[in-house]
Amino acid sequence: MSDLAQFGSFLGALAILCPFALVVILGLPALAGAPVTERAADRACRCLIATGLAATLGVLLVMLATGERHLVVNLGNWVTIASHGGADHGHYHFAIKFEFDRLSVPLALLSFALCGTIAAFATRYLHREPGYNRFFVLFSVFLAGMVTASLADTIETLFAGWELVGLSSALLVAFFQERANPARNGFRVWIVYRVSDAALLFAAVALHHMTGEGDFDKLMAARSWPDGQTTLTEGQALLIGSLLLLAAMGKSALVPFSGWLPRAMEGPTPSSAVFYGALSVHLGAFLLLRLSPLIAVSPPLAVAIVAVGLLTALYAHLAGTVQTDIKSALSFASLSQVGLIVAEIGAGHWEPFMWYVALTHLLGHACLRTLQFVRAPSLLRDYRELENALGARLPQQAGPLAVAPGRWRAWLYRFALERGYLDAVLGDYVAAPFVKLFKLFDRWERQWTAFLNQEGASDAPARPALPKPPPDERPAPALAPAPPAPEAVESGS
Amino acid sequence: MNNGPIQHAARRHANCVPHYPHTPIYAQASTLVVVKDLHHPDHAPRDGHTSTPADRFRAAVEHGAHLLPAQGPINVFIHHNTLHAFEALPFETAVAHGAAVFGCEPYLTEARYRDALAKGRIRFSDLREVLADDLGGLALAPVKPHGTRLDLRLAMLQYPLAGGTADELRWLIAETDALTRVRPEASAAARGRLVSETRRWVMRDLRGRNGTNPAWMRDLFARFGLAGIETWPEATWEAFALEALWALCREGARATADTQAPAPPPIRHRDLLLRAGAADTDLWVHDVLTRFTAAFLDQGVSHWPLPGRELGYFKSFCALYSHSGGPPDRWMAGLPAEARALLAAGTDPAAAACDALAALGVPESEWDAFVGATLLPLRGWAGMVHQVETRGDRVALPVPGGSLVEFVAVRLLLEKHAAAYAARESLGDTGPLARLRERLRAAAKPGGPRGEDERAFPVFQLAQLLGWGAGELAALGPDGWAALFAEVDGFPALARRRAFHLAYERRFREQCLDALALHAPQKPRGPRFQAITCLDEREESFRRHLEEVAPDCETFGAAGFFAVPMYYKGAGDAHFVPLCPIVLTPAHWVEERPTGAEEEKARRLKQTRRLLGSVSHRAHVGTRTFAVGALLTATLGVLASVPLVLRILFPRLTARLRGRLGKFVAREPGTALRLERAPECAPAGAPGHLGFTVPEMATQAERLLRDIGLVDGFARLVFVIGHGSNSFNNPHKSAYDCGACGGSPGAPNGRAAAAILNDARVRARLAQNGIAIPAETWFVGGYHNTCDDSVTLLDTEGVPDTHRDALRAAGRDIEQTCARNAHERCRRFMSAPLTLSPQDALRHVEGRSEDLAQTRPELGHATNALCVVGRRERTRGLFLDRRAFLTAYDPTRDDAHGTVLARTMAAVFPVCGGINLEYFFSHVDSPGYGCGTKLPHNITALLGVMDGAASDLRTGLPWQMVEIHEPVRLLIVCETTVDIMQKVLDGNPMGRSMTENGWVQLAVLSPTDNTLKVFRDGAFRDYAPTADALPAAASSADWYRGWREHLEFAEIAPGAAGVEHV
Ligand SMILES: [Zn+2]
Repeated sequence: MSDLAQFGSFLGALAILCPFALVVILGLPALAGAPVTERAADRACRCLIATGLAATLGVLLVMLATGERHLVVNLGNWVTIASHGGADHGHYHFAIKFEFDRLSVPLALLSFALCGTIAAFATRYLHREPGYNRFFVLFSVFLAGMVTASLADTIETLFAGWELVGLSSALLVAFFQERANPARNGFRVWIVYRVSDAALLFAAVALHHMTGEGDFDKLMAARSWPDGQTTLTEGQALLIGSLLLLAAMGKSALVPFSGWLPRAMEGPTPSSAVFYGALSVHLGAFLLLRLSPLIAVSPPLAVAIVAVGLLTALYAHLAGTVQTDIKSALSFASLSQVGLIVAEIGAGHWEPFMWYVALTHLLGHACLRTLQFVRAPSLLRDYRELENALGARLPQQAGPLAVAPGRWRAWLYRFALERGYLDAVLGDYVAAPFVKLFKLFDRWERQWTAFLNQEGASDAPARPALPKPPPDERPAPALAPAPPAPEAVESGS
Repeated sequence: MNNGPIQHAARRHANCVPHYPHTPIYAQASTLVVVKDLHHPDHAPRDGHTSTPADRFRAAVEHGAHLLPAQGPINVFIHHNTLHAFEALPFETAVAHGAAVFGCEPYLTEARYRDALAKGRIRFSDLREVLADDLGGLALAPVKPHGTRLDLRLAMLQYPLAGGTADELRWLIAETDALTRVRPEASAAARGRLVSETRRWVMRDLRGRNGTNPAWMRDLFARFGLAGIETWPEATWEAFALEALWALCREGARATADTQAPAPPPIRHRDLLLRAGAADTDLWVHDVLTRFTAAFLDQGVSHWPLPGRELGYFKSFCALYSHSGGPPDRWMAGLPAEARALLAAGTDPAAAACDALAALGVPESEWDAFVGATLLPLRGWAGMVHQVETRGDRVALPVPGGSLVEFVAVRLLLEKHAAAYAARESLGDTGPLARLRERLRAAAKPGGPRGEDERAFPVFQLAQLLGWGAGELAALGPDGWAALFAEVDGFPALARRRAFHLAYERRFREQCLDALALHAPQKPRGPRFQAITCLDEREESFRRHLEEVAPDCETFGAAGFFAVPMYYKGAGDAHFVPLCPIVLTPAHWVEERPTGAEEEKARRLKQTRRLLGSVSHRAHVGTRTFAVGALLTATLGVLASVPLVLRILFPRLTARLRGRLGKFVAREPGTALRLERAPECAPAGAPGHLGFTVPEMATQAERLLRDIGLVDGFARLVFVIGHGSNSFNNPHKSAYDCGACGGSPGAPNGRAAAAILNDARVRARLAQNGIAIPAETWFVGGYHNTCDDSVTLLDTEGVPDTHRDALRAAGRDIEQTCARNAHERCRRFMSAPLTLSPQDALRHVEGRSEDLAQTRPELGHATNALCVVGRRERTRGLFLDRRAFLTAYDPTRDDAHGTVLARTMAAVFPVCGGINLEYFFSHVDSPGYGCGTKLPHNITALLGVMDGAASDLRTGLPWQMVEIHEPVRLLIVCETTVDIMQKVLDGNPMGRSMTENGWVQLAVLSPTDNTLKVFRDGAFRDYAPTADALPAAASSADWYRGWREHLEFAEIAPGAAGVEHV
């Protein structure tokens, strides 16, 4: 390994280390009960994020200089289970490994640049806010998650980053924890993320089972993105790809999981900007890009991805045209672009160049939307300036849908206003049967225990039949019927 | 008055961080009925035989609408009394009502006041005097075991009495040293007395005859070991005394009945259901209502307006929700069929609401209370429907009258479905809906009196603080205990906070009045220039610094529209905006037009701007559609990172660059106001009526000059400076602009007033009326941006050459003033270091005004507290800490009826009083009366802000704006005699009512000497100053430097050159 390449590895390790150092600097004093001052938090964010950004840029330069398109930083195997059933069974190893390539470097740069800007924004925006330190701790966890996920070279590493992003996002939605709505909506985000996490976890297990390890470079036959070729069969790729698609759908708020996106606007403006305008919502798309070789071998998977993407884009466009508050309007606008990006990724099956298009689209969209989100409170001023320039009231452009025949128009409008009924549909057709099923299990378990108890203590007086279920175990009318206990959301903050 | 719910509210929030959001406790039936009667004493009884139920329902809605917030669209923010609904009541009663009806805080929390006490902001003597005043002859009434009522109440004010539910108390006693150590705040004497008295009692009376002792005492002896009683150490005696005290207090509580009445059961189905453990139906109903109401009121955020909006709220709702295949939300299952039926039958909304009320089982006698309680849970939106419906002239897209009735009708329709579903699904209740409330009330456990421990614990703590021994308490007997509990319960949280608040205001009032009583008037001889600014308290420091920089200048304060009420349209504006106080409706339209030579250039510039505007609007819309959005984001998106990073990291630099770039592209063409009416224009009052006639101008000019008493002694240069505030990312920007200009920047008014006063024909008419403006006097308009502290002088190219030098010199003075003013302002910004130099301070405030991330671009009226109406010489040289509205008024030039004063006061009461009360309530309960923290605000429908994605419309002021405010009622000090003031009040019912009911404090300052009289209990009473001298400093900066808090008033630069002491 040349000196330059070694230097590149060092820079890579530094880039990964920076966000974690930030978590420690901001988080440990808070745990010890003496949170750092606003000034210190500001300075720590500036220094470490700038260092991380510079290091990532350095890696990029090294890669350009050496012509190496694929640089791996390996922190070694953290868990190794030696093989025991012969060579063909393979062994399990859990490596923490990061890679810098044409996909991960732009995303890491984006994460550092946007998070750094938003951190600078937030230090002033949240000045004197009682939750200042909590915000920055969660923010640093978010950044660490983003960087880990974007640079991950194994599916386990990616999962770790993915989880950090999910955890910090849900807690930031519930940032104003003393009000019921943020807590409730944060909880909802959390539920959707758990579904998505479960899918990713299943995908990781399946990948291990099929290839013996979760390392992407092996999966891609050690070729740099996007030219990787998988050794999986078409069927295997479809299975794993579908699980990953499910994971991506939850994280990127694709149909039918879109209901959480507008609800996530509860936090302070900078968190809305960075999570839903820019980074978090693109993470699903990034996951699909990362595993693009799977798409390359499976046409049904590609079709499914294109379909989900286009459906989401259409849905978000329709819902977006009737939103009457600026943050919801922006979040649906954001979603419709994410849908298109996902569709472009699916289209990469036929034309791999589309992956580059999707990546560019993703980067550009993230920057533009962040700017729009942080400017959202200026809406009145911006509208006034536009009106003054035009010399008239702003025209409302309803689009083709508003001229649909009367009955249809009202139906479409209500569909859009009610955000496609997605929450209600999920509540009725997914959550309610789920709850019902588990209640059935619960009943069986109670009966079984009661039965066993009677067996074991036959001389005891006959017990009353079933204990009456407590009143809060009533049928759930929606996804999360009861307001969640605040502790449920607070824990971990 | 029943203050049960108030105490409940107070107890609930006792531990809340003051500005943190909480779920309001909604109205209780009984209080609403009380409020109605007080609020509408002359409400004629409605005749049940001649009017239809629908009429009576409409009347009930109209009645309930009084409780709704009166805030209009956020882009024209008008300050008003948050508790306008109760303005006819005395202030103290009104805040208590507000607390009960809205579930908000009446005053600051006791902890905040105690903090003020610890910091010396409230003096102990103020507290004692307030209590003594209140109690009168009863102050010294003895309270058994010993002490007076005054002592008891002072102790209750001074020390926080821990309280809580029975479970919390059990924890407190089990887990803290509450029963082993006397409270640390108790004085050594009280502690010693408690222990030694108990010891004496035990050793003398109890030890020998344990057999006759009560069970708890025998139990105590057993636990402490009676045998070793002679050798018990001090700590054991302390613990024993506390145990005995606690047991006695509980015994006492057990023996006396609780006098506090339980809270009445809630009136709404939702509250009863929630109490019974069912789902919160408001969550479901609000989800639909918030979205639909926002769509109905939307002024242009959405691209696709609500279909059928013109049909009105009710019909468009029914039309939208009548199609099947709609929301699968089960609670709404019956809605489409019902909506179809209502549409088919063409049911009147009010009639539909009556049916819904009947279905819900609400009898007509309860309608007023029930409709009121139904309006409040979403009061922001309901209030906005009402505002847009009644003041359609203030919005682009008005809504039909009667929309609020329709809103309530839809709400009741939804509540009916939600209540039935919740009762059925959550509680398994399938009985008739009309009797649901009765069933729920019957099933509910009555909210009985407080438990013994809850009542005993405050007495237990007071005994320690006041040194009551166990023996003394044991001797009380049932009557004694009943009296003691009555004493303690007779001074509940609300009364304690009221007493604290009165002391808090008293301190401030004395400080103000002392300053005015001790200050010697000063006035410059033959001023070099004069400046007229708005009476705004933010201009107080500007004027003071100007007078320090140029001691030979004179300043005046007038309402910032400078007596020129107009609809104004700037050269680059799309619409006319009203520039005058909200109470006036302008009859004149004034346009800014490019001057003759520049017209062509202006036309080209306008075209360019229109093109650019059109492109950027398309881009703005485009990023929200997917095809154009995809193209834009994929190709140009990354470029957005450049403005993003620049604007956020270097706001001031970016602003300068933009300004440079703008100048490079095109210099703004010269313009002039079209003030004079052209003969071909439409007649007065019609919308096309551009400009004023000369007599109209002369009348306005005379009005301005006479109001401020500037009728002679004109300087060569007179500045008329309007003000406004420039900031980014600030939906509440309008609230920072000039209130006298209807929440818009007042530059055009200053410019217009100067132009009018420079007109020779106007001057000729003024001279006929006795105001001779010398020919060498020239008026110059100006604009003070209170956010970045810049002053722009307008139309300076018209200034005669003879005045150029004087103008340049005055301009330099003004520039220096701006820097000093910025410096003084910076001491209040926690993020601005105290070591800034004036020039740094100026850069700091410039940065603030351009910063996207800045939630406190400036602090608005946060320091308002005082209003002085009188000659500037009475306050000149006083450091008033930006706390005083300064209205110029010369009593020596007014007539015996106070004609001029009456005009001035007609504006002072609503404008200054409104600002003061809005800040008061937004600070006292930020999430309840104000709109909470700014951080999650989300502009909706271009009318207001919500918290996050969907919430009630948040009215009032954000916490960041009122954070440093000191909530005291406005103290108005008028330089006039009591006689004239009485006459003025007689002619001003609003002012009289505000004064008599204590919404403002009023005092008069004698025009001839320094004596003051304060209005109290219906009459003006002499004020005796409490201080002999004021602190003094060489300059304002010397006085305020290094301090962040509010400061005492001080004399600045006594004996400065050029200033004559009158
Ligand atoms: Zn003003």
